[in-house]
Amino acid sequence: MMLRVNGKQRSWYEGMTVADLLRDIGDSHHYAVVRINDKHVSMPYFEKTRIPDNSEVFLIPLIAGG
Amino acid sequence: MIMEYKMETIKTFNYDRPIIEKGYANQTLFIDISVPDISIKPVDEKMKDVFIGGKGFDLWLLWHAVKSTTKWADPDNAICISSGPMGGTPLYPGSGKSIVTTISPLTGSVIDSNVGGYFGPYLKFSGFDALEVKGKTEKDIVILIDGIDEKVQILETSGLPDDSYDLSAILTEHFAQGKPRHISVVSTGPGAKNTRMGCLNFTWYDLKRKRARYKQAGRGGIGSVFADKRIKAIVARWDTVKVDTNNPADGNALKAVGRKHSKEIVELDPKQNEMATIGTTHLVTIMNDFDLLPTYNFQYGTHPEAVNVGQEVYRRIFDTGYDGCWMGCTVACSHGVKDFVPLTGPYKGTKVFVDGPEYETIAGCGSNLGIFDPHMIVEMNFYCDAYGLDTISVGTSIAFAMECFEMGLIDETHTRGIHLSFGNRLAALEMVHQMAEGDGFGLIVGQGVRQMKSIFARDYKADPHIMQDIGMEAKGLEFSEYMTKESLAQQGGYGLALKGPQHDEAWLIFLDMVHNFMPTFEQKAEALHWFPMFRTWFGLCGLCKLPWNDIIPEDNKDTREPAKVMKHVEWYAEYYTAVTGKKTKPDEIIRMSEGVYNFQRIFNLKMGFGQRDHDDIPYRAMGPVKPVEYESRRDRYDKELVEKHHVDITGMDTEEKIRLLRKFREALYEELKDAVYKRRGWTANGIPTLETVRRLGIDFPDVLELLKAHGIE
Repeated sequence: MMLRVNGKQRSWYEGMTVADLLRDIGDSHHYAVVRINDKHVSMPYFEKTRIPDNSEVFLIPLIAGG
Repeated sequence: MIMEYKMETIKTFNYDRPIIEKGYANQTLFIDISVPDISIKPVDEKMKDVFIGGKGFDLWLLWHAVKSTTKWADPDNAICISSGPMGGTPLYPGSGKSIVTTISPLTGSVIDSNVGGYFGPYLKFSGFDALEVKGKTEKDIVILIDGIDEKVQILETSGLPDDSYDLSAILTEHFAQGKPRHISVVSTGPGAKNTRMGCLNFTWYDLKRKRARYKQAGRGGIGSVFADKRIKAIVARWDTVKVDTNNPADGNALKAVGRKHSKEIVELDPKQNEMATIGTTHLVTIMNDFDLLPTYNFQYGTHPEAVNVGQEVYRRIFDTGYDGCWMGCTVACSHGVKDFVPLTGPYKGTKVFVDGPEYETIAGCGSNLGIFDPHMIVEMNFYCDAYGLDTISVGTSIAFAMECFEMGLIDETHTRGIHLSFGNRLAALEMVHQMAEGDGFGLIVGQGVRQMKSIFARDYKADPHIMQDIGMEAKGLEFSEYMTKESLAQQGGYGLALKGPQHDEAWLIFLDMVHNFMPTFEQKAEALHWFPMFRTWFGLCGLCKLPWNDIIPEDNKDTREPAKVMKHVEWYAEYYTAVTGKKTKPDEIIRMSEGVYNFQRIFNLKMGFGQRDHDDIPYRAMGPVKPVEYESRRDRYDKELVEKHHVDITGMDTEEKIRLLRKFREALYEELKDAVYKRRGWTANGIPTLETVRRLGIDFPDVLELLKAHGIE
């Protein structure tokens, strides 16, 4: 029942979405993309993407592009 | 590889190699291949203060080489290559870049293109901050700049292969004297000869894979100028590179700041974009998710099959290992595909190594053509490089031709029987092969979007108005591969870019559209000042911009201006100070770039461009051209008309809504031009004012005379 978010452990609960996680963290507006294990998830999909238990989550701050 | 070729020396120039002082050789190399003549020009302190190096030096040399009437294929046109004062530093990530400039066959004005590989640093360590090559020959030549033996040679050649892939390998071996890492080759291929969109390939030697790899100076057809001059290759030879080779003013300070940045990248890249593993391919699905990935000639920004050409696939296709295009770079994003077997063309059925693909190639030669086959994109990538073709211009040009074909503006009588519809993988590849062969419809596509618009209207009676709206070029250069319809700031980022719509000046889509960091006109104008200036600076110094804002410090979000990544900007100021000995703060970086940036704008003016009208962009870049585009995002556009522009759309048909939306969006773009020109210190017609050129120290007599001729005095 745990997650690792940017290398730090956090508790996990059934049904937790990316949007839930970012709300819990409290500075969600800085992250347009997160990576759950090897998969990128972008902001339009934050609300409906559930995070599996024991995931490694990386918060990607800005996509610079180009 | 067995090739029968000959090389005969026709000119040798011996010189005493200067000691590099604080990042500078303090001289440039001039070669007129018509005569042939080889000489050295001094670099004085004023040149260093105003133009810094890299693109700045290139522009200064090119300015004096060409007249306002010089055309791209004239002997007077020069190709200039320079790295910059920090170029060639092995310790600091991304410090091996070169910038190439010339008068472009696509735009008719000055173009610049940045590229990795070893050439720029090897040129400098051989004794030259910049290289200027002009003239033309009747026979194929190779130019050798040998910093070890202190000689420059021009060699007449015959029997060498035409394509860059084999040519790079052969010339690396020929000049290596058993040490291939001492060689960097600049070359192009047959596609460059027959089109206006030729690129240059710059090699770096991959010790692990024991082969010459290459990166591309892609934009603007520089390779076509190179091929037109009949230069087969320019080769630099240099010895081992260490931190001290660049003789920095303060080696300890350089090591301290370089190690900080390198360490941070090693720690954070695996947690962020994984560029050391997947390059820039992560952008494909991310852009797709935000409706920003161009598909079907920039009509739409998303496609359900995009995941087939994203990072999850290329992660498995890329050969693993270190892929830094400069020594010691920890971003190391130059990935490639080993043992790839093309299905078409001269390498059909043989195993080759493909350098790439990067995001731009995947989007340009894939999604924008309706192609979502990862291996076909690899094959397009391979042949574009081998033939010396810019994957961005190739992709955007074929996309335009495909849309014209699907709209019935052209048909199979024009394409000589090729069904040039979106998604036709073999037809896209056939276009590339025809560009190399100089035959068939590919020959026309290879002239670029601007020329195609004229040819289709003149010869095929296609409607010029619709082609103007959907032909994705500005200033004559094809758009690079991002959708801009919903980001006014990025419309400016493309439209107000000096050389044409390339994202290396300003990439503001996420900051504008996703993060909403710049809601007002003034904020957009400020961004369209600061970002192009800071990005310009990388091209003056010999640096890659990726370490700046593609790997972000974890505490960046808590800073006052997170978009600028000021911690890294401060490191760059420290880095510049450590190398040059000139104490520098972040604000002074912007000031350095401003001088060169404004000089390039004035250079455009000299060549007959560089005014307000030249900053126009096609309407496809601003909004929906066709009803099908509007309808695909109807909620978004209806909402804008109603909520932002207070239009009652009841009973209005789609054509009428398109017309109204266009009126509003085009007006906003003009308003943006006004705000940006004002912020940059330009007139309402987009010309730098007298006050601006004086403030920046670029008030040279011929600049003042040119401005006076345009009413600025």
